[in-house]
Amino acid sequence: MPLQALRTVAKPQNGVGAFILQCKRIDLHYCDWAGSSKGMNDFLRTTLPAFAKQNPSIELSVSPRPGRHPVIKGLYINGRQKAICVRNMESGEILRKVELLKAASGERLRRERRPVKSANESVRGVWDPFHGHKYRI
Amino acid sequence: MKRIRLDRWATQLQPPRNPRLHLQRCPFSSETRAPRRELQQRQDQIQHQWQHQRRHATTRRKLSSTAEVLGEDASGAPIPPGTLQDGELAASPPPPLYAPSHRRAAQSAKLSALHARLSLPSKLPLQTLARCLIDPSADPRTGYNNAPFAVLGQDLLGYYTSEYLMCHYPRLPMPVLFAAQYAYVGNATLGAMRAEWGVEVVAAPGMEVDPGLLQLKRTVPGNAMMDGETRQLKEMPQAKRLGSGRRNEEHGYRRGMSSRIVFDDQFGDLQSGLPPADARPYPGAAISSPAEDSVEAGSEQQQDALGPVTTPPSQLQTPEETHAITVEAGSASFIRALTGALYLHAGSAASKSFHRDHVLSRQLPLHTLFHFTHPTRDLSRLCDREGFEPPVARLISETGRLSRTPVFVVGVYSGDDKLGEGAGSSLNEGRVRAAAAALRSWYLYSPPDTDVVLPSEVEGAAGTGRAKKQWKPQMVDYGEIVT
Repeated sequence: MPLQALRTVAKPQNGVGAFILQCKRIDLHYCDWAGSSKGMNDFLRTTLPAFAKQNPSIELSVSPRPGRHPVIKGLYINGRQKAICVRNMESGEILRKVELLKAASGERLRRERRPVKSANESVRGVWDPFHGHKYRI
Repeated sequence: MKRIRLDRWATQLQPPRNPRLHLQRCPFSSETRAPRRELQQRQDQIQHQWQHQRRHATTRRKLSSTAEVLGEDASGAPIPPGTLQDGELAASPPPPLYAPSHRRAAQSAKLSALHARLSLPSKLPLQTLARCLIDPSADPRTGYNNAPFAVLGQDLLGYYTSEYLMCHYPRLPMPVLFAAQYAYVGNATLGAMRAEWGVEVVAAPGMEVDPGLLQLKRTVPGNAMMDGETRQLKEMPQAKRLGSGRRNEEHGYRRGMSSRIVFDDQFGDLQSGLPPADARPYPGAAISSPAEDSVEAGSEQQQDALGPVTTPPSQLQTPEETHAITVEAGSASFIRALTGALYLHAGSAASKSFHRDHVLSRQLPLHTLFHFTHPTRDLSRLCDREGFEPPVARLISETGRLSRTPVFVVGVYSGDDKLGEGAGSSLNEGRVRAAAAALRSWYLYSPPDTDVVLPSEVEGAAGTGRAKKQWKPQMVDYGEIVT
């Protein structure tokens, strides 16, 4: 056979064409009795509807969790979850935490040692001793 | 070649442009519009006006099959049998549902979130998106599942991908073209795409599940144990034989590249679902030759040995009779159905930009798809065909010839022009790699972007708009190297 082909799968590049927001669901839990949930209850009443309207791609679920601190949980496309306990926080702080969940990718927080990730090795080519000037003593 | 009129096929879902047709508007897009009765009356008025103008008798066309589904009013209450509007079919008992009703589509948060996450146009209703998530294995009735959309969407995705590859890489050989097509729109890629979109799969389909989940009957893994047996499923002999459309179904019999182009699908794989060559049609099938009644009556035993009988298409009505499929196959049919539904509701421009944003944005290094067996032989045939000077391999540089790790950099030259270069740990390896590099550079030639005009950019609706592109004949290569 003159030529055969190897099968593979094309790799995704989120954002090059369409951008898929990685946060797909946020669960918000509140409590009607606990004092730590006062800010959360205000947030749910006043700020959440506007946030939901601005972010139609996130599925929001509000449910009571009586006798517990208020907590917000984000569920991501890679299957991981992030939970933030928002006890004793004001409505504005809770909004900042919710925005944090929305902007996260779902991956673990890790220190990034290489600032640039690329599929291409380099633009001008990697040096090798076989092309170009030969070192002479 | 006669152009396929897809806008004629779409009358089931699009509103009619001709007032002679009955109201065939999309039965699913009524959530914010007037109730059905008012619209029906308005349409009757228009029809009567037209009748007075034209003074012809109207012809009543049959309503589409999806209208049978709606034996109920827009508000959800079933219409009593005696009070039907003019032109609606007689009320039958509401059909059984094996998947969530389309009315729940507007209440599902998952579905609306998916619609927004993919930035789908508002012309595509949520109810159609819900229908795209129902696989034929979950509900075999074609009025309820995504099979009709998937057929259209598969052709669209294949068309856009193949024209992109053929116009940008005119010299790509056929096996590599098949592999590239699979890498862009094959089952494995579409399965991964479904996971990247955050679409979850149900454990088992039913009426009670969320409409935003992908519903299919999942196949049992091959290494699971058969019920009541000590052997695994994958070791049990296959009960059903699949056909590929050829006369001889023996494995690999005369199945070269030309046979694949004629009989197989857009990836060069065997077509599934076709009956084998020796299958007999089911009793009552519409065949051209007369039924052999005398043969049927006499030799029952002989017929069992002849071969399997095809199943009539209307036989499968309940999910218990359908075949289970893999999650990958179900994901692929969902994405194809979404493309088809986008085309029908929002037009060719929307489906084309969907393909560009989700398929072409993926990265595929084509040079990794090549697998050569005799590159030096192929290269010398190529140079002979093109009228170049015969290729000669020359050593450009080397190091460590007598050591444990030598490196030889070899270039293949045709006269004074270097066709390709490769490095290897032996002289022969360097020569072979250089020939392979030269062949890759020949096959992966790409014309300048200014010269590339895709057929879909000038055909159909795209060809009549303001941004109309001027057609330029695209490069067609001489063909593959024959050795």
